[in-house]
Amino acid sequence: MRIPRSPSLLGASLCALGLLLAAPAVRAQEPPPAPAPTPAPAEQRPAGQPAGQPGEQPAADPGAVDAPRRQRRPGRLPPGFAPLVLEAGHVHPVTGPAIENGVVVVRGERIVAVGKKGEVEVPQGAIVRSFPTGHVYPGLIDAATDAYTDGSLRSDGGADGGTSFADDLRKQEARFHDLAAQGITTAYVTVRSPAFVRGQGAIVRPKKDGAFEPWRDKEATALQMRLASGTLMSHALERQQQFQQADGLFEGLDEYRKSFTDHADALKKYDKEFADYLAFHQKKKDGDKKPEGDKPADAGKPAGAAAPAAGDAPAGPGPGPGGRPGGRRGGPGGQGGGGQGGGGQGGGGNEPPKGNEPPKNEPPKKDPPKQLEGAAAAAFEAALATLLDTIAQDPKPQDPPKPEGPKPDGQQPAPAGGAPAGEKKDEGPKRPTYPKPPQKDPQRDALLKVLDGELALRVEAHRPDELRAALALQQRRSIPLLVLEQAYGAGALADDLAKAGVSVVVTECLPLTLAPPYDRFDVPALPAKLAAAGVPFAIATGRASWSSLLPLQAAAAVAGGLPPAEALRAITLTPAEILGVAKDTGSLQPGKYADVLVTDRPLFQTDSRVLLVLGKGNAEYEVK
Amino acid sequence: MRALLPSTLLALAATLPAQDLLVRAKTVVVAPDTVLTDGRFLVRDGKVAYVGSDVPADAAAKATVVDCGDAVVVPGFVLAPTTLGRDGDLAEGALPFTPDLRAAEAFDPWQDELAKLPRAGFTAAVLAPSPRNLAGGLGALVKPGATGGRVATADLHLALSLTAAARNPERPPTSLMGGVDLLRSAFAQAKSAAAAGPDVAVLRDVLQGGRKVAIAADTLVELQAALDLARDFGFEPVLVGARDADKALPRLVAQRAAVVLAPLAPEMRRAQLELPARFAEAGVPFCFSGNPEQTRLSAVLAVRHGLDRQTAWAALGRATATMFGAAGQVGALRQGCAADFAVWSGDPLDLGSSLRAVYVDGARVHGGQPSAAAPAASSSSTAAGGR
Repeated sequence: MRIPRSPSLLGASLCALGLLLAAPAVRAQEPPPAPAPTPAPAEQRPAGQPAGQPGEQPAADPGAVDAPRRQRRPGRLPPGFAPLVLEAGHVHPVTGPAIENGVVVVRGERIVAVGKKGEVEVPQGAIVRSFPTGHVYPGLIDAATDAYTDGSLRSDGGADGGTSFADDLRKQEARFHDLAAQGITTAYVTVRSPAFVRGQGAIVRPKKDGAFEPWRDKEATALQMRLASGTLMSHALERQQQFQQADGLFEGLDEYRKSFTDHADALKKYDKEFADYLAFHQKKKDGDKKPEGDKPADAGKPAGAAAPAAGDAPAGPGPGPGGRPGGRRGGPGGQGGGGQGGGGQGGGGNEPPKGNEPPKNEPPKKDPPKQLEGAAAAAFEAALATLLDTIAQDPKPQDPPKPEGPKPDGQQPAPAGGAPAGEKKDEGPKRPTYPKPPQKDPQRDALLKVLDGELALRVEAHRPDELRAALALQQRRSIPLLVLEQAYGAGALADDLAKAGVSVVVTECLPLTLAPPYDRFDVPALPAKLAAAGVPFAIATGRASWSSLLPLQAAAAVAGGLPPAEALRAITLTPAEILGVAKDTGSLQPGKYADVLVTDRPLFQTDSRVLLVLGKGNAEYEVK
Repeated sequence: MRALLPSTLLALAATLPAQDLLVRAKTVVVAPDTVLTDGRFLVRDGKVAYVGSDVPADAAAKATVVDCGDAVVVPGFVLAPTTLGRDGDLAEGALPFTPDLRAAEAFDPWQDELAKLPRAGFTAAVLAPSPRNLAGGLGALVKPGATGGRVATADLHLALSLTAAARNPERPPTSLMGGVDLLRSAFAQAKSAAAAGPDVAVLRDVLQGGRKVAIAADTLVELQAALDLARDFGFEPVLVGARDADKALPRLVAQRAAVVLAPLAPEMRRAQLELPARFAEAGVPFCFSGNPEQTRLSAVLAVRHGLDRQTAWAALGRATATMFGAAGQVGALRQGCAADFAVWSGDPLDLGSSLRAVYVDGARVHGGQPSAAAPAASSSSTAAGGR
């Protein structure tokens, strides 16, 4: 493979090399592999955390004297990466019992140690924040909220499974959208729109002052579906229709999936046939040129080596090194049919073979499409020129070309290439037809991901009959991840839910009677029933306006019979597990993100106040 | 014959003098400003007879002990003016000015809303005429009970209304100014000795300070009209609804008005949620309207937004009772008050606290029975609170 020599590519390569060299600085945000703490001098405290701040004291740093000299040494952590130590009267790691006089050590965006004060090594030079009577918890996780959405998204009845909420999330002005101020560091955003299939919910990380950032790779986490009739009375047949509608969504998915595998197979076949086609004509061209003593520039190479598709291009139908994904379509260049696949067969970055100047008598070629850019376009053009040259020099008589209309896939007829009329018809392999790709359906793609377990299916179902319908759908379609929302009547089906491996997100968990006919459901008592049956459940607000009530809802579940430790888990670790982010958040454990909440009193007390919220080690909220 | 025996015993038990109850708990909230640790009180004839160290030793020895352990015993909550779901029966649609009508006469002891009160820790409610009448009538203090509710006090307070609901295009008043004028004329007439009649008698009670007045008013202009009326005729009003009360705060303080706030909800503006704390700071008595669950949640939200717990406790009972002239009966566990109390697993202002039992007039009307022990000096088998 030839190395590109063009100045631009060389520059790009140098940039890439530069990035590689700079990589250690980026990785400095991660916890260092060696546990030895890096001394951070007083000058290196993070901005906004001066040494004289109340409740804050720098740890002893015997090496601070020569700090200026070490500060200049390459590889030192920048000031923002001084370790942070939170000391508190009570540390609640969630994965174990509360630690009295506990310590949480944070380095960069991760927790590096949790334990009892005196038993955990405090890094030298660390910033120490002390909360002698405070309580430290992992950042809360709201497993269902409509924060960062606006009215149009919440009332969008035309959404479908292809709708991604992540595309429409915005910072909102209302105060309750400031989730970080409530101690929430991770949230799953969904809406209660009237649509039957509402779209794909997203996980976000609330930031300072009502901002947020999407959780990378979790912009689409679950497909939302509504399988509920609401508070209005509904007939059994109506509910049956609703189930059939849900079930019908999964109809034809196998055929849909097969159409793509068939297309992939057809592309492979096409690639092979096209390579054969090019090789045949190249061979023929070489054979025709030799008697004339016209030595091509690439003489001596194996037949077909001059054809980029059979030579430099990587094996298979994928794009070349500089090509774009999906650039399978080679097409008869110059006729405008290449489309986005300009870099396909040619393999990006290949120079055109030398000595392939077009014959003087050849009619002028049209400019290649604009999509054919750079080296890939040049390679393609060279291959095309070779082909046309071969065809033009074919001495055999040929039948006049039959008039051909556009092919069904939009391809233009094979190029005549300026071949003189009356030439003998080519006896080689016919140029293959590019296989027509199947039509993409975003909703079906999402449903396939549901079946593959890449997306969870979150179904809003209220009453026991609706919940049974959801379970029937799960069994009928073998849905691996089913999460039930607003499942007020789930208590009656707790054992069935446990057997089915279903998770539940409990909302409206306050001592308020629901509107009839749901007034018979005791929502605060539901978590205890689910816990007793072994159903994983999270407690969530369901709406941004309730964001300040997340701990109180968990407290209400305690009044309903749930042990306090499980109530805390229901707003931290369990939702992290349901959302698939438990390896990074949900508890105070070394290696997880430093998502931390500090309160002045136990979290479930009504007058508990948020003192400090860390998200990935950054202060997202701090009481004034 | 066998079937008759239990009923006969029950009838006999009903005629016997009630057994005293000695209620003990880790925390006894006698009133918002009086909290006993390891407290106790003696219940006799449905009323609190002695509290704390005042309980005579011999009476304690003879009483049936209701030991609530580490629970918190608080006075039963009192629901602020409500129609208990009977709005139609508590508004005289044809006549706007009916100050002498009695809500007690429309009281149904078996109505569902009354029976639901104990489930949220409430032991009494101020039954009030609907605000759809300019002068709706006289409220009443009502209570739930194990065998149906009862009216504890009839003819409690006078209910007036200046809200839009009281203005009716079919009959006067059709406007706010018409309503204010009608009330002003009526009070002026009651001032003169020549006037007579049941409606005049009610207004005269108000003017003489013998009856509380609650005026429903939402907007600032309605509140100002109500305050003007109170100032001109010399009474201290209780303002019900008072959506714009924050704008009239200085006048509320100056005229010693009290406020029944609309229930708080999480989605409200921060200023609304912090209003109770501002009222407390300014010294304005207040309580919350709404159904029992809303009322408790309102107090919780107010605490969440800066209100101190003592004032929040008061807003759930003591303040309500005081505003409507029933402070001597309910809202506290002081000597002479009704033995209306609730047993909570913790502070009722924490949603993690669960309600264990509720007693009205010394009788358990909700929840399980806390551990009860028969007195050492007596072998009486009377169930604790089971009168």
